[in-house]
Amino acid sequence: MIRYENVGKIFPGDFVALEDVSLVIEKGEFVSVIGPSGAGKSTLLKLLYAEEQPTSGQVLFDGRDLATIKKRHLPYYRRNIGTVFQDFKLLSEKTVFKNVSYALEVAGKTTQEINEEVPEILDIVGLADKMEKYPNQLSGGERQKVSLARALIHRPVIIVADEPTGNLDPNSSWDIIKLLMKINDLGTTVILATHDREVVDKLNKRVVALEKGKIVSDCKKGKYVC
Amino acid sequence: MLKEKFLKLGRTFKEGLNNFFHNFWLSFATVSILALSLYVVSATALLGITGNSIVNNIKNNINISIYLNPDVSEEDMTLIRQEVASIPDVVSVEFISNDQALDNFINNTGDDPVILDAIDEIGDNPLFSSLVVTANNTNKYDGIVSRVENSSFTDKINSINYARNKEDIEKINVAVEDAGKAGMILGGIFILISILITFNTIRLTMYSRKREFEIMRLVGASNMYIQMPMIFEGILYGIFASLVAVGLLPLTTKFVSSLAGRMISQESLHAFYFQYLWIIFAAVLAFGILLGVISSFIAIRRYLKI
Repeated sequence: MIRYENVGKIFPGDFVALEDVSLVIEKGEFVSVIGPSGAGKSTLLKLLYAEEQPTSGQVLFDGRDLATIKKRHLPYYRRNIGTVFQDFKLLSEKTVFKNVSYALEVAGKTTQEINEEVPEILDIVGLADKMEKYPNQLSGGERQKVSLARALIHRPVIIVADEPTGNLDPNSSWDIIKLLMKINDLGTTVILATHDREVVDKLNKRVVALEKGKIVSDCKKGKYVC
Repeated sequence: MLKEKFLKLGRTFKEGLNNFFHNFWLSFATVSILALSLYVVSATALLGITGNSIVNNIKNNINISIYLNPDVSEEDMTLIRQEVASIPDVVSVEFISNDQALDNFINNTGDDPVILDAIDEIGDNPLFSSLVVTANNTNKYDGIVSRVENSSFTDKINSINYARNKEDIEKINVAVEDAGKAGMILGGIFILISILITFNTIRLTMYSRKREFEIMRLVGASNMYIQMPMIFEGILYGIFASLVAVGLLPLTTKFVSSLAGRMISQESLHAFYFQYLWIIFAAVLAFGILLGVISSFIAIRRYLKI
């Protein structure tokens, strides 16, 4: 479903983020991308949701080269991918409900649809009773759940999580990981970038290790060190 | 699909409205400067229209007076009148006797006792009889005057008052043109300033919502959806500014019409303003919205990287 073919990415100032990366991710997989800071994990994910374009090589989604997607069609493509980040990226002046409904509003869903779908998804992540709270009234773990709910609202085929547990304590981290596993069990592909050794070891799923922009290992049922 | 478009349009409009009221003082300042620009431009346009109507009015009422020497007999006067009337392009020749002229003069000065005393002192009527000549076109007076000056009765003529009128018309023409030019330059400067200020306001909105745009993009908002609120914000600036500008216009027109009232008979600018209120409002509104949208558009094109 996702195919990186000899992908290279060089940022201005000749900073090589990725070098000759080839990787195939099948539908329904749960892949952890690990590596130290600056290894190229985030860049690898950004190429997938077309926030960045590769300098060389191709990134294909269902056989289609992402570089060929017209700029104005990108928003529609991005609705296939739910994104979760370390810093949550929530709007502080909007309630939990609004933060999630926002994603449906921009897609032109009716108020009725929004009022049905948002509580449903908030229930799945366990925040049904906090819909009217603001982000600063929530714990870190809860904020990440809001972010996850927002990522799920379009029923994406892929969830991209870039260090989602980076700012969380171990308990909250595990809550988020369990949710990601649940989503994966329902058929959604999950790509998790992390350097949380404990999380990766517990998952026991495929692990791709990056170092200095190159893939150094790719293990089917891996631990942090496979 | 159409329903979805309307939904999005409604939502982006609401967002634009929120932006507008969220930064109230910034919006207030932007509307003020935009209103001032619209006001200067529309006031200039109205002044131009008034000036032109004054000039036309004077041109239509223009005539020349041929003052005859006091010793000209009545038969000669009739002959001269006939001869003047026979000059091509002359539409009418009206004879005003010196007694009539004195009556008119006394009426015009409003029975001022000082003037009445002065006339009594002279004892005799100091005014001349005259022929008031109207031509079919203002350009023809030069020709008519030279025909009269070269005629057989030129020695019976005391003076012709054409030259003075001509200078007045020239002066008014120049004044109207100058005022128009000054207004255009001032209006141009104000328009430029207001575009810059509106542009900057929209830019500030964009800056304060940078994070929001990033999130909007991530959740799949189209470029249009991100841009529309700012276009609406620009439109709102235009609407409010035109309301203020149109509200201010009566003050000017009242002032100008009282000044111009002495020169234009019935056509008071104030009346004109109310007669064409809707057209003026529509024009100012359209212009205001155009300015707002142009400013937003420039800001979006320049600063919103999607």
